[in-house]
Amino acid sequence: MTSPSLKRSLACLWWVLMAFLYLPLAVVVLFSFNSINSSALFESFSLRWYERLWGNEQIMASLGHSLVLAIISSVIAVVIGTLMGYGLYRYRARRLGWLIVLIYLPIVMPDIVFGISNMTFFVRLSSLTGWLSPGLGTMVLSHVTFQIPFVALIAYSRFLGLDATLFDAAKDLYASPFDRARHFIVPSIKPALVSAFFLSFTLSIDDFVISFFTAGPESSTLPIYIWGAIRKGVTPEINAIASLMIAAVAVAAVISLAFTRSKGSDASR
Amino acid sequence: MKRGITETLANESTARKASSITLEGVEKSFSRDAIALDGVDLTIKAGEFFTLLGPSGCGKTTLLRILAGLDTPNAGVVSIGGVDVTAVPPHKRSVNTVFQSYALFPHLSVEDNIGFGLKMQGVDKAERTRRVREMAEFIKLSPLLSRRIHQLSGGQRQRIALARALVCEPDVLLLDEPLSALDAGLRGELQVELQRIQRRLGMTFVFVTHDQQEAMVMSDRIAVLNDGKIQQLDTPRAVFERPANAFVARFMGHSNLLEIKRRGADRLDTAIGPLTLPAEGEHMNDGDLVLIRPETIELGDDALGQPNRFDATVVESFYRGSHFEYRLQVEDVALTAFSSNQGQKLFAADDRVPISISPSDLMTVRGEGG
Repeated sequence: MTSPSLKRSLACLWWVLMAFLYLPLAVVVLFSFNSINSSALFESFSLRWYERLWGNEQIMASLGHSLVLAIISSVIAVVIGTLMGYGLYRYRARRLGWLIVLIYLPIVMPDIVFGISNMTFFVRLSSLTGWLSPGLGTMVLSHVTFQIPFVALIAYSRFLGLDATLFDAAKDLYASPFDRARHFIVPSIKPALVSAFFLSFTLSIDDFVISFFTAGPESSTLPIYIWGAIRKGVTPEINAIASLMIAAVAVAAVISLAFTRSKGSDASR
Repeated sequence: MKRGITETLANESTARKASSITLEGVEKSFSRDAIALDGVDLTIKAGEFFTLLGPSGCGKTTLLRILAGLDTPNAGVVSIGGVDVTAVPPHKRSVNTVFQSYALFPHLSVEDNIGFGLKMQGVDKAERTRRVREMAEFIKLSPLLSRRIHQLSGGQRQRIALARALVCEPDVLLLDEPLSALDAGLRGELQVELQRIQRRLGMTFVFVTHDQQEAMVMSDRIAVLNDGKIQQLDTPRAVFERPANAFVARFMGHSNLLEIKRRGADRLDTAIGPLTLPAEGEHMNDGDLVLIRPETIELGDDALGQPNRFDATVVESFYRGSHFEYRLQVEDVALTAFSSNQGQKLFAADDRVPISISPSDLMTVRGEGG
C-alpha cells in the first residue's frame, strides 16, 4: 500500500525527471524557430534557419552522408545480425552461452576505444595494402560492427519466442532449407527485423565518436559537421539541424518500438 | 494425378494407396545414458490405425520423430512402402505429422496454414485453393478459413493441424498425442472422428499416446513401449486381456498382480492363499506373477460356493456410475475389484465380503525382470 502523499511525491519526481530529459530538447526546438540570431531571447516564429539549411551545400552533403551511411549499414547489419541471431538460436543447446559475451562486448565497449581501435586498424591496413582508406566505406564497416550485436540480440529473442515445433512442422510440410527461410523464418520474425533496422538506423544517425575517428575528409556526417560548427558558437542553424535530427530519430524509435510491441502480442499466442 | 480427398471418399471401390512401414533394429540415444530406443523391430501394415502406447520417456515420440525424419536413428533401417528412407530428410518424405502443440504458423491465416505443405510441394494456386477448400469442407472448418490462428480455440486448432497434414495426402500420417490438450468431451468426439477419417481414407495412421483407453478405442493394433523397447504388439483386446508381462498389465490398468510362492500341477500358493488353475493349465516360468483382472472378481452372494473363494474386507468403495470400484484387503494383500452396477448394494468400508475368482479368468504374466 502506498500512502497518497508518497504517491504524490513520486508523481512529482516523475515530472522533474521528464523536465530534465526533455526541457533542453524543447529549448533547442523552440530556438530553431526564432526569428533573430539569439539563444537567449525568442522574438517571433520563423522558418528562416530551416531555409538557410536548405541552401547550405555543406550541410546538405553531410545530411546525405548520414542517411546513406545509416541506411547501408543498417541493411547490412540486419542481414548479418539476423544470421548470427539464428545461429545462436539454432545451436543454443551446445553450451554457446559464452559467445553472448563476445556479442555484448562491442555494446559495452566505450565508443572512443572502439573508434580509435577502428581508426588505427583502417589506417594501418590502408597504408600496407592501399585498401580501405578512411571514407564512407570504413564508416559503414564500423557502424555495421556496432549495430550487429543489437540486431543479433533482437532476432535471437524473437526466435526464442517462437514455438520450436514450428521448425519441425515446416520441415515436415515439405519445405526445403531455402523455403523454410523464405516462407517461415523471415515472415515469422519480420516485425523484429523491421524493429532492428530502425534501431540500427537510429544508432547510426546518432553516432558521433566512432564516425569521427573513421571518417575521411570527404565523408563528414551531420554530427561531425555540427561538432565542427559548434566551435564557432551555437547558431540557430545548429538548432534547426538538431531539431530535424530529433524528429528523425524519434520517428525511427517509435517505429522500432511499435514493431517490438506487435511482436510481443503475436508471440503470446 | 492424385485424386482429391472427396473424390476418394465418393468412390470407395478405388481405395487410395497406403504404405506399410518397417523398422529393423532401430536404435537412438541422445547421450550415453539416455537411450531412447533400444533395438526396435516393427512392421506396420498399410492402411492400419497403429498406436504407440507408453508412459512419458518410453521412446514413443522419438520413434515417431524418426518416422517423420526429424530425428535420425544411430543404427537400424526405416522403410516406408518398401523403400529405405533412413537417410531421407523430412521435407522429402511423404509423411505428415499432427504435432502435440499443433505447431500452426502464427503469421499465416487458417487457409494458408492448411495450404502450406501443398505450396512447398509446388502445387499451383488454383489447385491449392480447391484442395484446401475441399479439405476444410471435409473437416468442417470452412467458416474459419480467413481467420488468424490466435483467434481459434484448442479444438479448432487441432482440426486445422489435422487438415494441414491430411490435405497433402501423405503415405503415412503421424499423430503425436494430438488430443491430450483437449477437454474430455471434445477428446471423446475427436477420437471417434479420427478413427472414422482413417477408415474412410484408408491411410496408414501412426498414433502416439500415453492414454490406454484412447489407444484401445481407436487402434487396429497397439505397440506398448517401455524403456525404448516394445513390450507387446497386438490387438487392443489381446493387449488388454492377455498382457505379455507385468509392465503391460499394470500400464493397461490391471493392479492385481500376485507373487507365486510355490506352484503345483493345478494350483498355486500366493499371498492371498492357494489358487486353483484352469484345467488346461498355464505355461509358466520362474518369476511369473498371477494376474487377477479387477472385473473378474465376483463379490458377495455370487462368490458363494465357487472355487478360489476368499474372505475380503472392504477398505474403500467408490460409486462410478456404470460400475462399483472396491479396494479390498485379503490377508495382507490389497486387491482392486470392479463389479458392474446392476442395482445391487454398494458395500461400505469395513464390510466383510466373500469373493471368488473363476479359474478360467486367472492367468500368469512374466514379471518385471523377465
